[in-house]
Amino acid sequence: MLFLILALLSGVVGGLIVAAIPESRERLRNLIVILFTALGTLSCWVVGISAFSGQSIMLVGHIAGFTFSLGPDPLGALFGIIASSLWMFAAVYSFGYMSEKKRHRTYFTFFLLSFSVTLGVAFSGNLIVLYLFYELLTFTTYPLVIHERTPEAVKAGKKYFLYSLSGAGAILVAVVFTYSMSGNLSFSDKPILAGSVDPRLNWLLVLFIVGFGVKAAIMPLHRWLPSAMVAPTPVSALLHAVAVVYSGVYGVLRVIYSVFGHELISQLSFGRVLPWIAAFTILVGVIIATRQDILKRRLAYHTISQLSYILLGAFTLQPLGLAGAMLHMISYSILKVALFFSAGIISEQTGETEISKMIGVGWSLPKTMTIFGVASLGMIGMLPLNTFWSKYYLMQGGVEGGRWQVAVVLICSGIVNAFCFIPTVVDAFRGKRTEGVLNKERGKRLFLMLTPTAILAVVAIFIGLWPGSVWPGVEAVVDWFF
Amino acid sequence: MMTTAISSNLPVFVVIAPFIVAFILPTISRRLRLVESLTLVLSILLVVGAGLLTHYVKAQDTATFYSMGGWTAPWGIELKIDSLSAFFVLVVAGVSLPVSMFSVANLSGEVGNSYRTTRFYVLYLILIGALAGIAFTNDMFNVFVLIEVATLSSCGLVSARNEPVAAHASFTYLILSTLGSTLVLGGIGLIYILTGHLNMRHVSAELAQVWQSSPHVVWMAISFFLVGFGVKTAIFPLHIWLPDAHSTAPSPASAILSGLAVKGFLLCLLKVLYNVFGHSIIFEFGIDRLLVLAGSIAIVAGSIFAIAQDELKRRLAYSTVAQMGYLFLGLGLMNTQGLKGALFYLASHAIIKSALFLTSGVIISTTGKKNVRDLAGVGRKMPLTMAVFTISSLGLIGIPLFSGFIGKWHLLLGGLETGNFISVLTIIAGSVLCAAYLLPVIRIAYFGSAPEESKGWKDPGLPQKTSLVLLAALILFLGVFPDPILELAGSAAVNLLSSG
Amino acid sequence: MNKLLNKILINYPYFFAVILFAIGVATIVTRSNMFKKLLGLNIMESAVYLMFIAAGNIRGATEPIITDSNAGSTIINPLPSALMLTGIVVSVSVTAFALALILRMYKHYGTTDAILIAEMRDKNEKWGNK
Repeated sequence: MLFLILALLSGVVGGLIVAAIPESRERLRNLIVILFTALGTLSCWVVGISAFSGQSIMLVGHIAGFTFSLGPDPLGALFGIIASSLWMFAAVYSFGYMSEKKRHRTYFTFFLLSFSVTLGVAFSGNLIVLYLFYELLTFTTYPLVIHERTPEAVKAGKKYFLYSLSGAGAILVAVVFTYSMSGNLSFSDKPILAGSVDPRLNWLLVLFIVGFGVKAAIMPLHRWLPSAMVAPTPVSALLHAVAVVYSGVYGVLRVIYSVFGHELISQLSFGRVLPWIAAFTILVGVIIATRQDILKRRLAYHTISQLSYILLGAFTLQPLGLAGAMLHMISYSILKVALFFSAGIISEQTGETEISKMIGVGWSLPKTMTIFGVASLGMIGMLPLNTFWSKYYLMQGGVEGGRWQVAVVLICSGIVNAFCFIPTVVDAFRGKRTEGVLNKERGKRLFLMLTPTAILAVVAIFIGLWPGSVWPGVEAVVDWFF
Repeated sequence: MMTTAISSNLPVFVVIAPFIVAFILPTISRRLRLVESLTLVLSILLVVGAGLLTHYVKAQDTATFYSMGGWTAPWGIELKIDSLSAFFVLVVAGVSLPVSMFSVANLSGEVGNSYRTTRFYVLYLILIGALAGIAFTNDMFNVFVLIEVATLSSCGLVSARNEPVAAHASFTYLILSTLGSTLVLGGIGLIYILTGHLNMRHVSAELAQVWQSSPHVVWMAISFFLVGFGVKTAIFPLHIWLPDAHSTAPSPASAILSGLAVKGFLLCLLKVLYNVFGHSIIFEFGIDRLLVLAGSIAIVAGSIFAIAQDELKRRLAYSTVAQMGYLFLGLGLMNTQGLKGALFYLASHAIIKSALFLTSGVIISTTGKKNVRDLAGVGRKMPLTMAVFTISSLGLIGIPLFSGFIGKWHLLLGGLETGNFISVLTIIAGSVLCAAYLLPVIRIAYFGSAPEESKGWKDPGLPQKTSLVLLAALILFLGVFPDPILELAGSAAVNLLSSG
Repeated sequence: MNKLLNKILINYPYFFAVILFAIGVATIVTRSNMFKKLLGLNIMESAVYLMFIAAGNIRGATEPIITDSNAGSTIINPLPSALMLTGIVVSVSVTAFALALILRMYKHYGTTDAILIAEMRDKNEKWGNK
């Protein structure tokens, strides 16, 4: 109980303290940030591990005629652990990245507030709480998106806001709908709507999927994500590759497994369409990605594609598919953050944001580009990287559910993925090492940026070689729902 | 003896007291401090009175009728004390207290010298008294008189600033509003010709007998009421007077006009529709669908107009047009959930809109900037003001734990119950649009780069701060503990639906 | 046709009330002179008063003052007349207030034409912004 409260509050308290520290006290601020992030992450692990072992901790309050309950089941715990651990890395990276940028105080305040809110999404115990934190997440991340304050950033922020709020609106209708149907909104191992028969259930599912699909960037609801790339790189990496988009994915998973339940979904006609929407997003997303020249935009479209891997796994409604989805949730996030971090280093150290101008970058940034190459291999799904296992299980789940097409889609996507990143890496090391090119990987700032990136790559390889290390969590989730 | 005399005549005191004080004020206009403290004391007494009435109503199962001067209905004027009237009086008192507090030692700057300020208070109190009267009255001609009193005092408040622009806005408001009242009077006349009564109970009993024999007259009367009150409540497209009037008035007046006055007229419409005509007639003529349609159009169109405005107070005024749409929509849903939601939303919006207008008044008078795009830096220099503005905005958008959410939740439940999906869609679209016109203000205020001149900007004085904090606290309180008000609204809704 | 004419003839006060009402509304909506708008408003109100008073009237009945000579005979309904007295008071105060506002505007803008005033206001606001 104590750890649950600690996990949820550390971000808020830290954020408020940071807001009170003057702009110039950089070291003190960094200390506070890392302290509170570490505290939150640690508590999150404690809470998560006890959730995996079957103990449930719940904070329940009755406010305004609604029950507010916070307490993770294995799915929430897994999401919480992924998000909070990556937050640590992003915090350290931010110290380096932001040291030459302005407005630290605002940045770190909302950075920490978003931390709490994301954990709130993860630990939500019923639909009302999920809706509340899902909506709040938009508000706390908005200042981070417009952090550059350029007209472009403000425009992107507006887009982000309107998309997200419209999605939240759809969710609110869906929640009210669910409430009027069943009178119950709490998540448990038994789905809320289990056994109900109603012709409007299809529409309810549409509402939910549209609502959470906005943040999960299901096509055609994805347009905000590429524009939001104007944000500082740590924000793009953490929020727009992991925390925010995962809250959407998490919402979809909740809807499928906790609100409807896999048995009910398989009977709904719209439920049968869902895998194809995900497959469409996977292929189209990655194909659009290969056509982008700006590295961050390419990564953004790639994110859209990869998120649908997770959704596809969930939509197969098979235990193995769900296991694949969970594994992908873990593996993909680590690699994607590493990719974004490297992209940030490239643009900060060389000033290049376009891929076509990155020929020969590898000679001045050898370590960064090596990590980038490793992560690219992971995106294709090669051993010894962790994504191999997630793809393996996703394919198995698809086949088990009677859809061999899923496996074909994943293989095709893997091939396109190869086209997406491998040429970039090759180009970076192409050509002769010209005179006068300096090694740009020196200095404290770069140390702060490179270290988390490298650790993430190592973790990815470690999980790839020993997938059993994350299996207990995955197993707990699958057992919970099946 | 004294206490029983007061307690048995409490509703009359609640209505009369503001009038009495209003007529005392001009005699002491030299001593502005006294005028202000008298108004403040009266506002506090009103809150106490409203609280006592609510307490009394909650203990009662049925409505209590009070005959003015001992003349019983159908001859005399009758006051009806039930959950609806207690609810509305509570809203009026609850909003007028912070607004009175805000005006302390602050008005002369906007209105002029102490004589003008005193006159402002006179009109203000008359308006409060008229609104309280509207809550209780059960007599149709009395409704007309009270709305005329409310209209005239509102027009006076609009023109309180000594500027020709204000006179122009006030004139437009006066003409259109009187047009509306005349239509209402025409409707009352038709009803009187048809039934021979003016007391709502008797009219409704008589009307139930005769309406089928002369449906055209009933139809005409209803349309007179709808258009007449439509002008006064500024339902789109009859809203043209509102943006001018509410944006040129001094900020406490804008707060009370947008927060309470339009809602008083809405309450009249509610009473006429449900207590006089009754829901069988409403169903028969399709008024419910008309109301939902009008409400939906108002929500969408009002919000879009609001987005287009750059002047802060005009934006808020158009927002009122949009928010009135929610109330109309709730009236048209014709079920307990929807009506309860609409009533709760009425209370919530009254508080939120007052807070928004008061904060924007502070911002405008401190910085001299009227337009949204010039507000950069306000968030840092005036933290409290902008915090209240933010809380109110979140409440209006309808984030959980703020008061607007509860109202929207019940409206949504009501919409789903009737299966009216257009209403559900517009309620949600309204929230998103509301975010689209309020959040840029917050963004610019907090994240814009502050200009040089912003050095001297600061939060207002203590009375103003207290009043703003009180309003913000009310928004949060209603969002977290809505039950007392929600129960009152719920029982009012049940009563309204069971009558007629 | 004959029947309709007959109805109108019998209910002629209502018929005139409707005509007056229409004149009033038309004046308010179409005229830009503020005095004329105000006059239209008064005409419209008079129409409603006429309707009320006509409703109280009973043909052939006596005034509602009971004396020895008319005891027992039908009397006119006095209530609408009393109500309209209140209505007239209200409309007088509206008129007075409106006249004061017109005066205020005339002093500043030099015209009583609502459209011209609106144009001047718009111009001022544009200058004010620059």
